[in-house]
Amino acid sequence: MPRPSMCRSLLAAIAVSALALAGCGSDPGGSTSRDGDRSVAVQLNWVPEPEFGGFWQAQLDGDFADAKLKVELISGGPSVPAAQLVASGKVPFGVVSGGELLSLNEQGGNLVAIFTVFQGDPTAIMVHAQSPWQTLEQLWRSDATIACESYLPYVTYLNRMYGGQNLKMVPHTTSLANFVNDSSLAQQCFVFAEPVTLELEGIETRVFPVLESGFNPYTGVVVTNRAYLDANPAICRDMVEALRRGWAGYLEDPTRANEAMTKLNPAMSLEAMNLAAKKQRFLVEDEVTRANAIGWMTAERWKTLAEQMTELGKLKSVPTAIEGGVFWQPPVSAGPITPNEPTAPPGAAANESSG
Amino acid sequence: MSSGLARLAVAIPPVAVVVAAIAIWWLAVRTFDIPQYLLPAPGAVLEAVWSDRERLAWAMLGTAIGASSGFLLAAVLGVAIGSVLGLSRFLERGFYPLTLLLQMVPLVALAPILVVWLGYGQRAVIAAAAIVALFPVIANTLGGMRSVDRDLEELFTLCRAGTLSRWWRLRLPAAVPSIVTGLRIAAGLAVIGAIVGEFVSAYAGDRAPLGMVIVSAMKEYRTDLMFGAIGLAAIVGFALFGIVNLGGWLLLRRWHTSAGDAG
Repeated sequence: MPRPSMCRSLLAAIAVSALALAGCGSDPGGSTSRDGDRSVAVQLNWVPEPEFGGFWQAQLDGDFADAKLKVELISGGPSVPAAQLVASGKVPFGVVSGGELLSLNEQGGNLVAIFTVFQGDPTAIMVHAQSPWQTLEQLWRSDATIACESYLPYVTYLNRMYGGQNLKMVPHTTSLANFVNDSSLAQQCFVFAEPVTLELEGIETRVFPVLESGFNPYTGVVVTNRAYLDANPAICRDMVEALRRGWAGYLEDPTRANEAMTKLNPAMSLEAMNLAAKKQRFLVEDEVTRANAIGWMTAERWKTLAEQMTELGKLKSVPTAIEGGVFWQPPVSAGPITPNEPTAPPGAAANESSG
Repeated sequence: MSSGLARLAVAIPPVAVVVAAIAIWWLAVRTFDIPQYLLPAPGAVLEAVWSDRERLAWAMLGTAIGASSGFLLAAVLGVAIGSVLGLSRFLERGFYPLTLLLQMVPLVALAPILVVWLGYGQRAVIAAAAIVALFPVIANTLGGMRSVDRDLEELFTLCRAGTLSRWWRLRLPAAVPSIVTGLRIAAGLAVIGAIVGEFVSAYAGDRAPLGMVIVSAMKEYRTDLMFGAIGLAAIVGFALFGIVNLGGWLLLRRWHTSAGDAG
């Protein structure tokens, strides 16, 4: 009797698909923990390098432990979808860029920023020291070949500013081989990462930071999702507090964290990590962090980014709720709060953004 | 039943399955309120394709050129290598395991080095497409050459046919059905190879190929556009497969039973 059998198979297939999809769209399991389970994971968006130094420092100095948090730092890579993993509740915390947060939320995501590693975006374009280009504008008005992530908002921003019609943009892979091989190639980088590696190999570069052009999104942004934040305000608050301490410790002396990270990422030497940590410091600290705390974000900066992205056609509209919606951060406190003192995140209800 | 109605009857099962799959997809997105960044609704995908139609048409053309060039390269090299290996057991034993490497090598890992060797642009794309498409052509050519009727081989020996004559008049014609099967497999693989090649070597811009569209849509969480571009890549694969099928049918229709259902 083929028909009942076919029907059963079809129904079974639908049921299996439905269960799988229900899992995809559901709230994170952690969102119902009510701060009971304090084991959390942080999905990094890259391999262990100084841009995550404060995370390892917090682990080594016991800042997470002092906050009664058991934190697992999950190494990332070029294809790890950190933002989607957090938005779908697979991990409670992740590291993304400010632009990624805004884009994902416009596509139905629910990410909330709680901390930013960098006040200044480390994204830059490097060229060989012997190349003719002395400024970013000169480069962008030339017919050079640039290995970059051409879909990122900064590229559109620079195209608006400097034209860029004659540029040839090719994919940016993690490899430096093409750049080393071709002295006419320009390549996207982080100011303190690739140029440092090349410098230690005896290859001199000239680096043009993108932030000098006026486009400066928050980068290295620690995010959670709205449901998790609403259900676990104390964990989120303690996580931020531990990160503030971890990063303060890392800025003071990055050696121990760098030693731990180079064991996990032998491709970057301890020497390169120490040099990178020194070079990234000015991007982590500025007058805002000195007046408040490391990782501090302002509504003004988020609004500027959202407005720039809207103008560039990367967003349909600026989110209506910036503070409490796009980002949330606990006030600077004397120390981590205990798990028995949950604090409602300010503006937790303001979780809707336009678009 | 007229031949037109018969053809329609043949088309009904695949069309019904596709329509049912799309209906389940649409129902799942609607029922479970799945956010677009995880799974877009079919309507959103169509809308994205329509609103970006000009860019996607150029992207399809770029990918089709890369994939078909890689496929042609793989076809020529595959038949040539398969034929040479078919000449002697010694050559086959020596080189066939090496050709297996083409099947085993992870193209995603190899593609960046192709860019270092060949530079950015279509050359690396064509090479990536050819590398993944080559093995099935070699394997099927060799298999076809080895499956020639023993009596016919003996006849050619009696007639003192030379190596070239034996290859051209006996082995190659006998291997054609098998080669066509290899080319069918290679057609789909060439598109996959081209897309992977484009991930690392294609130029960005208004006329960027599908690989670039897929990467940028993925990074911008435009899953609607990404699904659309993936669907168009599949259409390129189907088109290439269809052309191979048609070519095979034209070649084989007069003398081989396998051509009966190929056209």
